[in-house]
Amino acid sequence: MPQKISMYVSIMLVAAVLGLMLSLQFRAVNRAPNGISIDRAQELTVELKQINKEKEYLSKEISDLTLKLDQIKQGQTEAISALQSELNKVRMNAGLVTVSGPGIELVLDKPDTNTGDTQIPFELMIIQDEYLLSALNELWGAGAEAISINGQRIIATTEVRQAGSFININLNRVVPPYQILAIGNPQKLMDTLEITGGLQEYWRDLGIKVSIEKHDDLTLPAYGKK
Amino acid sequence: MKMRSYYWILLMFGVVMGFMLAIQFRITRDMQSTPNLDRPIALTQELDEARNSRDQLQAKVDELRNQLDSAVTGPELSRLKKELEEARQEAGMKEVQGAGVEVTLNDSNKVLLPGENPNFYVLHDGDVLRVLNELKAAGAKAISLNGQRIISTTEVRCIGPTILVNKNQRISPPFIISAVGDPETLSSSLKMKNGVIDYLQFWGIQVDVKKIDKLTVPAYAGGLVFDYAKPKI
Repeated sequence: MPQKISMYVSIMLVAAVLGLMLSLQFRAVNRAPNGISIDRAQELTVELKQINKEKEYLSKEISDLTLKLDQIKQGQTEAISALQSELNKVRMNAGLVTVSGPGIELVLDKPDTNTGDTQIPFELMIIQDEYLLSALNELWGAGAEAISINGQRIIATTEVRQAGSFININLNRVVPPYQILAIGNPQKLMDTLEITGGLQEYWRDLGIKVSIEKHDDLTLPAYGKK
Repeated sequence: MKMRSYYWILLMFGVVMGFMLAIQFRITRDMQSTPNLDRPIALTQELDEARNSRDQLQAKVDELRNQLDSAVTGPELSRLKKELEEARQEAGMKEVQGAGVEVTLNDSNKVLLPGENPNFYVLHDGDVLRVLNELKAAGAKAISLNGQRIISTTEVRCIGPTILVNKNQRISPPFIISAVGDPETLSSSLKMKNGVIDYLQFWGIQVDVKKIDKLTVPAYAGGLVFDYAKPKI
């Protein structure tokens, strides 16, 4: 009889532990799929970083404008210089003035036609407008402040468009090699192109000759001037 | 004989319990490798706060620009002011109204066959860039993408299913591009044979072009910061 009781007790114990584990298990399984994926968290982090950067820009703009407002209140001469400096800034953004600064030089040239590499179809060996567009997009995204292609300053309404075997930029015909000058943080601009799986790799796979160089002092022409 | 059947039951319990223990361990280990929930939630809240404060800053910038304009008086200054207005017009810092087209882009509604790459049927930054470029080539004076003015430094970037423009503004499909310019020229250049719309429709992307008599393209609201570039006079 006592033996039987101890057996019952042990079975009861085992069953209790088992039940506990089952419920734990259910809870764990139910919770798992609710977790936000790593991708989503990364996206959020990227966006947050970008917003913080924009906030920094806006704060700078605010302090700049406040300073100019103070200047204007001080007197005529100060007012003129304040307004002039605001005008210069807006003009710089509009691409109406020649600018200089550090940046990178990116040169894209069509592949040699006599390499005998028949794996790449001929159409792909022409540098398409799309390649230049994606280069511009990538450089703006990396914080470029001014860009020109073969002496054509890129402004808000600039088009980069295939017209036969040429590319039209600002209604001017440009031909390879395409020399893209971008003013901004040279390292950042370079990194955005050279990143693994980035544009440089893509272009090289297509056989396009790519060269990227950092420069301490680049001069970009104003829009509409050579 | 009776004792034996108990042993069998105990053995079975033991096996089941061992099995469950093993699974339990594995699940707990897997769960640690996915990020915990708190971080993304905190991130989302932080993001909302950051967005709010950014919007406030943006409003402040607008206000200051207006103050700057109204503070200016006197003949010498009004000449400068006029130049400033013109430069702002060029830079996209002024609202533009006029006739134009409205282009609506949306992801493909094509039902995928097994083995097809869904990526081909989703709108990419490149597609939006193509449309913008085509509109610029057709002489559009001012363009906005879901209310974000396109200026020279505007980039269009895919982040997951959404697109980032002007460094910070996240927009999601449908993308509405408003362009001020000659409606006839703009729409025919998009609809050209083998043009942009033909290309997009090949992938089933939904494109709709509407000519509009009066549309408004908002001003660029962000800051202008030049840390590297200096004017050369």
